[in-house]
Amino acid sequence: MALLEVSGLVRRFRGLAAVDRLSFRVAEGQTVAIIGPNGAGKSTTFNLVSGLLGVDGGTIRFRGADVTRSPAHSRTRAGIGRTFQVVQPFVDLNVMDNVIVGALFGASASLGAARADANRLIELVGLGDKRFSGVSALTLADRKRLELARALATKPVLLMLDEVMEGLTPTEERDAVRLLSDVRAEGVTLLLIEHVMSTVRDLSDHVLVMDYGKKLAEGSYEEVAHDPKVIEAYLGTDTET
Amino acid sequence: MRRNLIAWAVFIAAVAVLPWLGVSNDRYLMLLANVMLMFMTLALSWDVVARTGQLSLAHGAFFGLGAYGVAIAHRTWALHPLVGIVIAACAVATVALALGVVTLRLRGIYFAIATLAFAEVLRTVALQFPDFTGGTVGIAMPPLFDGDRVLSYYLIGAIFVLALATSLAVRWTRLHYAVTAIRANETVAQVMGIDVVRVKVVLFVASATLAGLAGAFYMPFITHTDPNDAFDIGRSVASLVFPIFGGLYTTAGPVIGTILMRSLEEYLRVTPPWKEGYQVVYGLVIVVAVLFMPRGLLGLVQDLRLKRPDRRWAWRFSR
Amino acid sequence: MEALPQTLLFGILRSGLYALTALGLAISLGVIGVVNFAHGEFVMLGAFIGFWLYLTLSGVSGLGPAVSPLVIVIGLPLSAIVLYAIAAGVYRFTLRPVLRQPELNQMLLTFGLSILAVNATSIVLSPQAKDANLAWRFDLLELDFVNVTFARIAAFVVSAVLVGATYLLLARTKLGKQMRAVAQNRLGAQIVGIPIDRVYEFAFGLSAALAAAAGVMLIFQTQVSPFLGLGTLLKSFSIVVLAGLGNLAGVIWASLLLGLAEQLVSQYVPGGAALRDGLFFVIIFLVLIVKPSGLRR
Repeated sequence: MALLEVSGLVRRFRGLAAVDRLSFRVAEGQTVAIIGPNGAGKSTTFNLVSGLLGVDGGTIRFRGADVTRSPAHSRTRAGIGRTFQVVQPFVDLNVMDNVIVGALFGASASLGAARADANRLIELVGLGDKRFSGVSALTLADRKRLELARALATKPVLLMLDEVMEGLTPTEERDAVRLLSDVRAEGVTLLLIEHVMSTVRDLSDHVLVMDYGKKLAEGSYEEVAHDPKVIEAYLGTDTET
Repeated sequence: MRRNLIAWAVFIAAVAVLPWLGVSNDRYLMLLANVMLMFMTLALSWDVVARTGQLSLAHGAFFGLGAYGVAIAHRTWALHPLVGIVIAACAVATVALALGVVTLRLRGIYFAIATLAFAEVLRTVALQFPDFTGGTVGIAMPPLFDGDRVLSYYLIGAIFVLALATSLAVRWTRLHYAVTAIRANETVAQVMGIDVVRVKVVLFVASATLAGLAGAFYMPFITHTDPNDAFDIGRSVASLVFPIFGGLYTTAGPVIGTILMRSLEEYLRVTPPWKEGYQVVYGLVIVVAVLFMPRGLLGLVQDLRLKRPDRRWAWRFSR
Repeated sequence: MEALPQTLLFGILRSGLYALTALGLAISLGVIGVVNFAHGEFVMLGAFIGFWLYLTLSGVSGLGPAVSPLVIVIGLPLSAIVLYAIAAGVYRFTLRPVLRQPELNQMLLTFGLSILAVNATSIVLSPQAKDANLAWRFDLLELDFVNVTFARIAAFVVSAVLVGATYLLLARTKLGKQMRAVAQNRLGAQIVGIPIDRVYEFAFGLSAALAAAAGVMLIFQTQVSPFLGLGTLLKSFSIVVLAGLGNLAGVIWASLLLGLAEQLVSQYVPGGAALRDGLFFVIIFLVLIVKPSGLRR
């Protein structure tokens, strides 16, 4: 039984299918990357799986249960966590409290346990000395760390990361990959949307390529990188063939 | 947290002791004290729902519903006012639940519009059913505790303490994190596991019930009301101006804001050229607060005391 | 069933002013994205300008029956210009700084402005409601099965012309297209170089001008008082919610629906006159339960 099973997923916006009969599975312990050109429907898929958008067709099964109509907060409590492409920290709260929110409600912890978890996760992501900092004082890389810590606080079984590497310097990227490996080592299944191919190659054991809302190709990084359909989707056809 | 709660305990003690400081003999002063506690309850109740980021323009209407509830209960079943107050509060809670469940799952603007429409429709419809509400003539009932203003002071005092407790609970329990997250970003709050609609509905019902209790007290206290008085939009305005002026999302803010603004109001009401137009000051306060003083008086005082912006975070959330 | 043609006609005629007022609200909501709780006060101020004009013209001897049409012909442009200027000022000094703040603050601001305007008017002018004793308010046009005052016909005609003109403006002029672009996609509009600030200012001013025109026509139908804004605002909200936010074309249908529903309920439902005044709430509540996006597809 796959951890996450998406079948025939459809989502339309005013007649245009942003996600068009998409099906895929994620097994427990895997790291799956979803890649594809802009507008392929990757973020929409995340929104559908996390429950922020309703599906127009198809089903989503998580740990064997049908969560297609389940509200977002229930899915989080069931173990689906996510970060956002454009980081969205709670600006009225400091770093510590941001993470506590995740622990309190996503993991249904008591206040004391939530604080302990928050402290641990803040250390893990490297924000230890900025514990009581306001969000506005953080750099982009730090905000991404916060976003990750907060998502981890919800004790996800499946963690969906939306373009975590975007906007990071090469050093920050390396740190992020290392961090994600640590997270994976704790037993979290990762589903990533990524544009940075080195990350995809280093982290994922399975790659899904999307284009125009459909699954274009699937396989290991090597297989997918050499698939002519994929190359065409990203680069277009050679007019002089 | 403990320091905060002790301070409030002292405040409550002071409020309880007030009549024994020689005020109890002055009927006018006791009237003012009763009304002040009533408005502080109303202000605290509005602030509770504001913490979820919602703008309720119906708090005056819940107040009026509470008032009418008690009056009608008395007229229909000859119930003792205290029983009537409880029944009226339940009625208000039910209505608020219906309104909240429909509107709070949508964007905040729909909630605000719906509450305004609700407030106005109550007033106009109440005027149209004179058999039930007494129409423009209104409805009456015997005075609470036979007009003993000290006893009624303790009754509204108890209601005020309930409002205070609710406000403090939202601040010092995990609800604080929930509402702050909801206010900051509802979408992300959901993804963090918060049942946003439920939190909003629960707090809205609690808030409306408190406003209804204040109104339910008002009716036997004042012995007579009519739709234009009970459902006066001015009370909805007051319920939001007082907390905004004093400082939103705090417990002290609504209390201080009420004391200051209500005192000003007493003066303006009898002084030309303000008189009935005294609410123009309220309008001005709202506009100025949104533009220049979003955290109200308390926010202003804080900013003056902690000059370095980053320190604000440690202060705000250390327990 | 004799009353039916009269009822239907009244419903249609009333919907004219409803559409005019609601269109302004729909524009400020759709283009700028702000809920203007002070929109009713634009109508109210327009009505006061119309009333002032009525008083002035009535004092001029020899005008007699010409006062009614003159109030319209002079009042419409006058009130439109004055309210446009006021709205532009309000936009620049209070609304614009708040656009970056959360929705709650924006709503509070316009609500505060509404309270300010109502009470300031009450203090400076007078809280008492006044009647304009205009000929067209009472002179009837008697047709076969209906009697209708000139005032109602004039109100409908004026509304139809202004609403039609506004739609033309939105469809054909550069400014109109810019407004529509901004309403559809704020960020995209900025990227292609549309001067968003100017578009916002114009949209706000236009919404106020339309409201003011409706206000002038209102003095032929109802008492003028500082408090007439709230009822107008709520009816406009019910129309905008019914049509769906951003659906400017739907405003006409929704207005017709409200206008007809009010007359039909008041005429044929027992106790209907009382319910008619609550219809706006029923519409809002029902729409929010059933289909929050309104009539829009």
